[in-house]
Order: sequence, then C-alpha cells, then structure tokens
Amino acid sequence: MPRLIVTAVNHYPKIPNLPRSAHLRQAIAQFQEGKISPQDLSRVQEEVTREVLQEQQEAGLDLVTDGQIRWEDLATYLAQGMEGFRVTGLVRLYDTNTYYRQPVAERKVSWKGPILVRDLQGAQKNSSVPVKAVLTGPYTLASLCLHPAYPRWEEFVLDLARALRQEIGALEAEGKAVWIQIDEPNLVFEKRPSFWPLFKEAFQLLTSGTSVPIILQTYYGGLDGLYPEILQLPFRVLGMDFVTAPANWKLLENHPFPKGKGLAAGIIDARNTKMESPSEISSRIERLLALCPQADPIHLQPHCGLEFLPRETAQRKLEILARAAQPFKFQREPVQ
Amino acid sequence: MSLPLLPTTTVGSFPKPEYLLRARAQRTRGEISPQTLQELEEKATREWIELQERLGLDILVDGEMYRGDMATYFAENLEGLKISGLVRSYGNRYYRKPIVTGSIQRSRPVTVRWWRFTQSLTKKPVKGMLTGPYTLMDWSFDEHYGSRRDCALAFAEALREEAEDLERAGATYIQIDEPAVSVRPQELELAIEALGCVTQNLKVKTITHICYGRFEEIYPEMLRLPVDQIDLEMANSGYDLLNLFKKNPFDKEIGLGVLDVHSHHVETEEQILSGLQKTLKVLSPEQVTVDPDCGLKTRTREEVEKKLAVMVSAVKKLRQELKSPAAR
Repeated sequence: MPRLIVTAVNHYPKIPNLPRSAHLRQAIAQFQEGKISPQDLSRVQEEVTREVLQEQQEAGLDLVTDGQIRWEDLATYLAQGMEGFRVTGLVRLYDTNTYYRQPVAERKVSWKGPILVRDLQGAQKNSSVPVKAVLTGPYTLASLCLHPAYPRWEEFVLDLARALRQEIGALEAEGKAVWIQIDEPNLVFEKRPSFWPLFKEAFQLLTSGTSVPIILQTYYGGLDGLYPEILQLPFRVLGMDFVTAPANWKLLENHPFPKGKGLAAGIIDARNTKMESPSEISSRIERLLALCPQADPIHLQPHCGLEFLPRETAQRKLEILARAAQPFKFQREPVQ
Repeated sequence: MSLPLLPTTTVGSFPKPEYLLRARAQRTRGEISPQTLQELEEKATREWIELQERLGLDILVDGEMYRGDMATYFAENLEGLKISGLVRSYGNRYYRKPIVTGSIQRSRPVTVRWWRFTQSLTKKPVKGMLTGPYTLMDWSFDEHYGSRRDCALAFAEALREEAEDLERAGATYIQIDEPAVSVRPQELELAIEALGCVTQNLKVKTITHICYGRFEEIYPEMLRLPVDQIDLEMANSGYDLLNLFKKNPFDKEIGLGVLDVHSHHVETEEQILSGLQKTLKVLSPEQVTVDPDCGLKTRTREEVEKKLAVMVSAVKKLRQELKSPAAR
C-alpha cells in the first residue's frame, strides 16, 4: 500500500471574502500609490503567507506550499529575480480568463542569486507540516516569455534550465528543501512533439546532481503521447491531471505505474466551485490504488493551483479531499 | 437612417464617473436607495450620449453605466445563477464570477428598459448590447449542467429571447459580444452553434466583438459565426490580422478597432489613417465600421474624449479622400 500524501499544487487565493478583510489587496493598492514602503508590503505578504499555511494545515494537508502569495503569475516572479528580463504587457494565460505580464528576455538570461530561498525558509518556520518549494520549469517559462535576445528558442530554454538549476541548488543547500516541484503545464497544454527531445535535455540539465526529491508537475492536459516514456526522466514523483484529462486514467490502465516512482494525482477540480462529494473522491482514490499499487508515494491534490476559486471554496475543497483520503491512510497500518 | 461610408461607433463600455462609482459603493452598503442609484446611472448615460453626439459618432452605445461587469450583470438578472466570491484576474484585480446553480431562465427582459431609455435621448441609432452565450458559459462556474455545450445553449436560449425583445423594441443593431471565442480554438463550433441560436430569427444588423487571441487557429472558420459584422482589435496588434485576410478573404463586415484601449497614449490622426489605409488595401470601404479595439471603461473620460475625437476626424478626412476623383 503506497503512502498517501494530501497536498495542494501551487498557488492559493490571496484574499478572503467578507467579513474577513482583504488586507493584501489594500496593501498592494497602497504600495502602488506610493503610500507604503516595499518593507510594509513585504510584511503583509508574510502575514498572508502565514494565514494560508494555517488554512492548508487546518484543511488537513500533509504537504503544503507557501501559496505563492508573492507571485502574480507563474512567470514574472522568477523572471524578475533573474538577469536579462524585462516584464511587459498583459497576455492571456492558457485557456483561463486570467492574464499575466509577459517577461521579455532582452539579454542573455542568468541566475543572479536566490529567488525563492527566503520565501521557503519563512514558510518552513510557520508550518508544522513539510513545505514543498515550487518553481516553474524552464520549458514552460520559456513558452510564456518572448526572447528577442535568443535567435534560437532551444538556447533560451537551456539557459533557463541552467539558471533554474542554480536556484534548485540554493533551495537544496540554503533552503533545506525536502521536496522541489517543477511545474511544466506547457508540456501537456500545447503538445509539440518536436520539442520533446529539448524538454528531456532541459529537464536533465535542471535536475542533474540534485538529491532532493523532485516532482515533475503537469496540468491542463494529458500525458498521451508522452507516457510511459516520460517515466524515464529523473524525477521522484510525476504529476498528472485527471480533471482536465480523464484520458490519463486510460494511460495508467494500459501501462501500469512502475515501482520506484510516485504519482501526484490531480483528482479534484480547482477551476469549478462545484464541490466533489466524498464518495466521488473515495472512488477516485480507490481507482488510483487499484491501478497503481506500485506507485509510492501517491500525492492526492486538486488538478491545478487554487487561485481560480474564491478563498473559502478553495479551503473547503482541500478539507473535503483530506477527509476523503483519511480512511485510506488508516488502511495502511498493518493489521496484526 | 442612412449612415456615411466608414461609420464610426464604440465597442460598448465607457468609464463610470466618480459620482457614480461613489454611489455604487454607497448602494452596496445600503446607504442610498436603488432609485437614487438609478437616477445617477441615467445622468451618466445622458452625459455619454451627449459626448458621443458632440464628437459626431454615427452609432451610439449606452456606455453600460448600470453594469458592474459584462458577465455578472447578466448573472444578476437571469434565473439559475448566483455570484461567487472574489477571484483574481491579474495583478491586483479581482472580480466575481457567475455560478450556474440551476436551470438558466429569463423571467423578464434584462436590457430592454435601458435600451429604450438611451434611444429616447438621441435620434442616432443606439446598439442593443448583450454578452454572448459562449462567453457567459466560459466565464461562469457551472455547478448544474456538467456539460459546456448544454450550459452555453441554455444561456443562448435566454439571450435569444432578450435579443428578440430588443428587436421588437426597435433596436436596429444588436451586438452580442464573444470575447472568449478566440481562447479555445477546439470550441469554435460550439460558439457558432450557440450564437446562431441567439441570432436565428433576428432581421436587424448583428455584430459580435471578439478579443485578441489565437486567430491563426480559428481563421477563416470564424467567419461562420452567424452575425453580419465581426468586431476585432486591430490597433494593438499592429493590424497583423490583415495578413490572414490576404490569404483568405474576410467576407463579412468588420468592426475595425483603431484605438488601443489599454494605452494612455492618444493616437495621432496619421496613425489611425495609416491603419485605415492599410486595411482598405485588403477590404472594401463598404465592409468597414470604425471603432476602438475594445470597451473604453478602463480609460479616463478625458482620454476617451481625445481618442474618439482623433478617430472621428481621421475617418472624416478619409471619407473626403475617397470621395475626391483622384482616389477613384
């Protein structure tokens, strides 16, 4: 019986609804008007990070993230922390009705110092359960950016992989990271088979010599055409989205998940307010356990980040997931 | 009423004046009555009609002074829907999404009273303005239908009734916006089916506005959207869509966006003229209505006035040129 770990994918809604106050929204507005200092804003972000860590633990998660409270989207926070980028106008993010500011690589990109280490340390200090560090992978990051400094897209991806490899090194050494998650939605959202060799090369570069367990996270699409070959890559856990891509079930049926790797299964819908019933979730967990008896661990999670939902709905979804997973965790205890 | 060549219009929304924003906040807190709020919405609508007439626009809009958001407004006025808590759209911007909780029904007209009121203020045509069924579906949480198609078609049925009521009230232009259409190319067929359900019985001129997106993947198929005119953002993409039209002729009327609505910068007459001239190499002037890229609600009133004034004067200049024998 695999270990079951209930977790969230990456971001968490930044502001609650009335009667609770949206202090981060107010602080950002005040910061933009020049009424408060960057330090003041940072204090509020820290406070909100503590709140969302607390909420995830209350919901019953075994592994949490810092909710990416300081991130505006999956591209700009990392890009702004690196050398070579300028952040420009708004572009629609995938098929969501949300937008991100598009980074443009105007010069050669490189790592100039830790971007996420302090955030991770802060989150670890305020969490009684393990925290995973999350970063957007080089392939997805490159897909979201413009790259006038690079005539060849492949070079851009590989330079990003080198820069992020250094970030992973810092998260490992200074941040004492216990899990590092690499988000690569572009791999499955917009399938371009011709880029598969490039993806593999970048992922190998990114993870070479690391000893922290790595999660390769995919969402917004299925792994058809990539699975089972993707299992050859050097990750510890593979993330699969069963909400957007029910076809992922078929892949597991056709090719059993191997021994020695874990599966992070997105089994509740993080883009709809409709609540899954406990029995629906239980039957999905049963199906996973039946199909993947060799996978270890199995992470149970929403299919993507939670910021598409109102904060209260997001927390309730996590609660329902954690509660549905509970009986399966007890089954693991050996009965003598 | 006959329109000049290259008629001018706007896409729908204008910024709400300060006094109206204050009043909306007061209304939320229960500090003023619905009547007081409505009087201020009417005052603001009157001001926008006056400005549009003064600037010499040909087809007018009410400016949507009474709408919070183009999706939630319909959610608030149809049965089977609720409004969610806040979700972030980008940066520090948040909005409330419709939640479909039951069967979608229209128990009474939604926009007709506002259309009548606005049309009573002017002799120029005022467009009836609706948000399209595909977009309402895409921008809502669906807790009821469990199928994107069923949900879109349910919205379409309610909107068909609304559009037909607008036509009966006397509207001669009905615009049904589908900004979400360009996002999921694989769902274009659904968008066409749903919009067709809304427009099937209409005899008036129909328009749909689509925001910038993956046009290379939905063109020329998107020409099958069952409307007379497709309104497109052209300015903020440097008119690059014209390259697609060169390969496959654009065989409908076009609402040609010539003002970048996301920029504070006021376009020059030369910029607009050069965009129009580029366009007229690919399309005939009879196909073209000129307008901003998108709704203007995020600009200030001053910016709106300046941008539209330049647009109208550029169009007037071009009309003269087209009339002169040298252009023939």
